[in-house]
Amino acid sequence: MPASIEARNLGKRFGEVHAVQEVSFEVHPGEIVGLLGPNGAGKTTTLRMLAGLLAPTAGEAFINQHSVQKEPLLARRALGFLTGDMDLYRRLTPVELLAYFGQLYEVPQPELQRRIDELVEAFGIGEFKDKHCEKLSTGQKQRVSIARTLVHDPAVVVLDEPTTGLDIMASEFILQFIRRMAKENGKAVIFSTHHLDEVERLCDRVVIIHKGRLQHHGDIDSALAATHQARLADAFFEMVQF
Amino acid sequence: MRTSIITTIFRKEILEVLRDKRTLYLVILLPFFLYPALFFLIGKVGQSQAGKMQQEKVTVLIDPALEQTPVPALIGSDPSFVVKVQAFDSQALAEEKTTIGIRVEGDYAAGLAANESVILRITGDFSKDLLDGRKQSITGLLNKLNQSLLEERLQGVKLPPTFAQPLLIQEEDLAKPSQRIGKVLGAYAPMLLMLFIFTGCIYIAIDITAGEKERRTLQTLFTTPVNVREIIAGKFLAVACVGLASALMNLFSLVFAVLLQAKLMGGNVSAISLAVSAQGWVWMITLIVLSTVFLAALSMAVSLLANSYKESQSYVSPLMMLVLIPAVMAQMPGMELTMTTALVPVLNICLAIGAIFKGAFSLPAMGLVVFFALLYGLLALYLASLIFGNENVVTGEKVSWKLLRRGV
Repeated sequence: MPASIEARNLGKRFGEVHAVQEVSFEVHPGEIVGLLGPNGAGKTTTLRMLAGLLAPTAGEAFINQHSVQKEPLLARRALGFLTGDMDLYRRLTPVELLAYFGQLYEVPQPELQRRIDELVEAFGIGEFKDKHCEKLSTGQKQRVSIARTLVHDPAVVVLDEPTTGLDIMASEFILQFIRRMAKENGKAVIFSTHHLDEVERLCDRVVIIHKGRLQHHGDIDSALAATHQARLADAFFEMVQF
Repeated sequence: MRTSIITTIFRKEILEVLRDKRTLYLVILLPFFLYPALFFLIGKVGQSQAGKMQQEKVTVLIDPALEQTPVPALIGSDPSFVVKVQAFDSQALAEEKTTIGIRVEGDYAAGLAANESVILRITGDFSKDLLDGRKQSITGLLNKLNQSLLEERLQGVKLPPTFAQPLLIQEEDLAKPSQRIGKVLGAYAPMLLMLFIFTGCIYIAIDITAGEKERRTLQTLFTTPVNVREIIAGKFLAVACVGLASALMNLFSLVFAVLLQAKLMGGNVSAISLAVSAQGWVWMITLIVLSTVFLAALSMAVSLLANSYKESQSYVSPLMMLVLIPAVMAQMPGMELTMTTALVPVLNICLAIGAIFKGAFSLPAMGLVVFFALLYGLLALYLASLIFGNENVVTGEKVSWKLLRRGV
């Protein structure tokens, strides 16, 4: 089965600083891959290159077999992207926001309405769907953000720290949704987080980046075996200790 | 470029503007009420001040040497003066707020009898508005006395009154009232128009560029399958529309305020007309649209350099100077539309609009201005798209000129 996400020797240099060097990995349909690394490791830069927000200075990225650099619009059409850096339009309601992004992805009108209804139902947005986004709580905003990421039913979903700032109930809701999205709907998901317990529960494989370089790419058991540790957290610390 | 995508972005931007009460108030509603309110207020305050000054009594101290002359009675004929014939110290009058002195140098009667000029000196602190105004009243009264004395002298030597006035200068202005209005409008309207368009554009441009960077919504837009030119086009249309709406609102409000003021002051409002032909209006609308294109694109390009709303506001004043200086230059005497001035952005449009108001424009000159205005508008748009395509803008960071030069 062809990979839905492929990073091929990706590199990014900002002046003299190498933020990311020779990072390669793949994510297949139905897989959830955890992207791990300490702050400043190069996770966000890698994700931004996958989304076409940053141009790599080396290597290439593919989304649904489309080169992010050469076919950016086709690649982005297949991608749902959410990072902690993104916020909602303050003066739009959640439904207006979903409709706006649906139109930008050129989802046909009858299908868009059906999709919005589904997402409003799935994320429990109905109770605040007519409120302006600036009046929503952090948890409500995050639900709308994820719904926005999925409005065009993308084959690939990239989520950068989607549970940050959320309480345990909201976090659990989102984790369950990510699992269903991958396992029931066959989406390829990259999930970046600092919560290693979430990774253990959710991810099929992990990609660990440190100082811009790939430290590990494989399933959780292989990470434990490589470091002779019993817990992912200990394995992670050992890999990023130098 | 897909028009459906551009329309979607444009509609969303306008919807957000219409929902932002602060923007709506500052850009659309405030201008509508500002000028009538200001003109009304200034008129009322002015009237009230003038009334107060008129009612205030001023004491006129008259040199006792003038007691037997017509001067005390003449000044006393104006009820706003209290006449006192008494000696006074000129230096002491400098401290007085409501007192003026009139002194004669030499002998009044002897001077007149000898057909000499008698000097009457009016003394007071004329930096004070009240005393300055009353000095003019006193001068007017004394001029009347002077005229009657002159006539007496001429009669004495059997000469007609015209003897002392060999030339009687009269003016005949062939300009129609509409041309006179055109001259005034041509001088001031283009500058105000540029100012209104700019202020309308810059506010919304900051909100949807630097404001979006600060609010972290711009990155989301760049992850969608929309290219930079479509984003620029949608946002640019919104900025231009709000700029134009704001300018028109300002203009209507200003015209309404001027007409209202003219009516309140008893002027014949229906006699006010413009000398602008139908062709002139077409040129004028074209120039207004082109200047909006230029100023909207320039506002966006400059706002994009900032990372936050606050930072972008620090760019407003220098940019305002860049717009205002050529607009003010257009008002200078002798400044006309030539091959050279047609090349200068803003100045060319101000001069061209001024020429249309005066009803004195030529087609080649208009064509040249339209060509260069279009060129500058497109260059500003290109600059905005170049900055917008910079990946630092995409990630909400400071724009690097180095990257910009490389086109990254």
